[in-house]
Amino acid sequence: MAQFLEQIINGLVLGGIYALIAVGYTMVYGIIQLINFAHGEIFMFGAYFAFLCVTTFGLSFWVALPLSMGMCALMGMLIDFVAYRPLRDAPRLSALITAIGMSLVLQNLARLIWGARWRKFPADATPTLLTGNAIPLPGGAQVSFLDVFIILLAVGLMIGLNRLIHLTKIGKAMRACAQNRIAASLMGIDTNRVITVTFAIGSALGAVAGVMVGLREVTEPAMGYYKGVAAFAAAVLGGIGNITGAMLGGVVLGVAEALGAGYISSEYRLAIAYIIMILVIIFRPSGLLGKSTATRA
Amino acid sequence: MPKKLFTPKTIIFVVAVCLFPLLAYGSDRIVDLLYERGLLLPLPSARYILRVVVMACLYMLLALGLNIVPGFTGLLDLGYVGFYLVGGYTAGLLMARLGWSYWIVLPLAAIHGALWGLLRGAPTLRLTGDYFAIVTFGFSELLFRIVKNEEWLIGGPNGFVNDIPAPNLFGLELYKYWQQYYHILILLGLTVIVVHRLQNSRVGRAWAAIREDERAAESMGINLREYKSLAFAVSAAIGAVGGAFFAQFQVNISAGAFEFWESIFILCMVVLGGMGTIKGSVIGAGILGVLGELLRPFGGARYLIFGIILILMMRFRPAGLLSAREQD
Repeated sequence: MAQFLEQIINGLVLGGIYALIAVGYTMVYGIIQLINFAHGEIFMFGAYFAFLCVTTFGLSFWVALPLSMGMCALMGMLIDFVAYRPLRDAPRLSALITAIGMSLVLQNLARLIWGARWRKFPADATPTLLTGNAIPLPGGAQVSFLDVFIILLAVGLMIGLNRLIHLTKIGKAMRACAQNRIAASLMGIDTNRVITVTFAIGSALGAVAGVMVGLREVTEPAMGYYKGVAAFAAAVLGGIGNITGAMLGGVVLGVAEALGAGYISSEYRLAIAYIIMILVIIFRPSGLLGKSTATRA
Repeated sequence: MPKKLFTPKTIIFVVAVCLFPLLAYGSDRIVDLLYERGLLLPLPSARYILRVVVMACLYMLLALGLNIVPGFTGLLDLGYVGFYLVGGYTAGLLMARLGWSYWIVLPLAAIHGALWGLLRGAPTLRLTGDYFAIVTFGFSELLFRIVKNEEWLIGGPNGFVNDIPAPNLFGLELYKYWQQYYHILILLGLTVIVVHRLQNSRVGRAWAAIREDERAAESMGINLREYKSLAFAVSAAIGAVGGAFFAQFQVNISAGAFEFWESIFILCMVVLGGMGTIKGSVIGAGILGVLGELLRPFGGARYLIFGIILILMMRFRPAGLLSAREQD
């Protein structure tokens, strides 16, 4: 029972992280119908930026986190500007291949700069609030402060994003662009600006997830690929283009992965994400919450 | 318009290609002599050059196979390495564990690959664009995880299969690099002929119609299910043949050779040369195959360059260095 409860909590933490990454995929897909393969790499750079701020520059963790978010937001906007914007009207395949190329470049850039070896977030730089002892739960299970913090942070950011999308002017513009980009631009919405903002928000949330994974696990160049694919599977599961769906998909996939890794085989934790992703695409391409369209061109 | 394959130019080219090992070994002797007298800096040996050339030829074969799906039918395949893996392990296991002859294993690997191609193809027939690409990616990653983890099936950790014997041709062991060179050359030649014949046939025209507009093709009476399945099967079979060759060439294979990035590497070759052309695939694979081998000391970081190539090609020459597709 205790193990089960711990696996569920583990899954919720993982789910929160996946949800933070998945909204980045899904928001971009919703507006420009592009699978931004480089998003996983932005998440990885987020972890590295915070790591560098804390180790090389000796900054406090609470400064490093927003700094990393800002850097990643810039990076996301830059990638869109340099690589994707020139291909806005090109065939979809071209943009997809460019995104794969971008992912390849960024991942190996990290490998060149920081080496392929994984790094552990220094314990003395981790805020005392997050290193605290485990909180006992009924049944003998335990949950660490860090896990509670990640869940609360993810929930808080998701609510914030939801409010942003539904209550602000830019949020309204984003929804309009997702419905019909041409019509939105005819109504006087600067679609390029909306796309830039979308990339910035998605990348900043990805950076948060990166820092959390860096704290909880390790920071390495391949992390963006592993976690990125799983988060993309979460976005597909929830219905790609649907932000609430991405959140739900993240949590469902996180719990499924934690339970699968705990009870079936930890070697196949990623395989669970792949299988769910393939099954969803084949049997319910619109995902759990997406609008029903038979195929996506 | 169908083009003729055997023109005087191509025949001269073929003869030159056939004499290549002789040239390499011959110049090796001369280089050695000059080097011993201190007239020349040490150059890479003929063995090394031949190895690089054999690998480049193998990549040409793989690029030709991959090209069938994204190039001819317009569906982006991100999991081609899966079929390469199937061929490699089929041949490796049957030869190393059961001692089967390579000449039986090779066609078996091709059939096995084609079966997986059909298996993967069946549920994805309805899918297009991004969704097709994602399923192909997930499929090859699953195969990769299986060979990496299932020791009972493969026999070693991380998918290691050791001591795959060299093919035996009437008592002659084909393990030398120049023998391997002719071996891959014959396989490559056969592949070029098969793909060329397919491209300029009713089948090839049907594929092109599907690529240009699936709905229009269907309304002209093209059976999408049949033609797409055929493309998947032929493409997968070629990949598996490449894998079988790779298994006996490398002697030892491990899961590490079949990672996702390998698929992207092959895709990069097809994109560089221009999707949908035989010449493009061969030239793209020739350039990147040699470059990839030369940059091997840099490890994974060499993929940085391939990423840049993908981005630049899509930006400035989306149709490749050579292209069959009309500008749209």
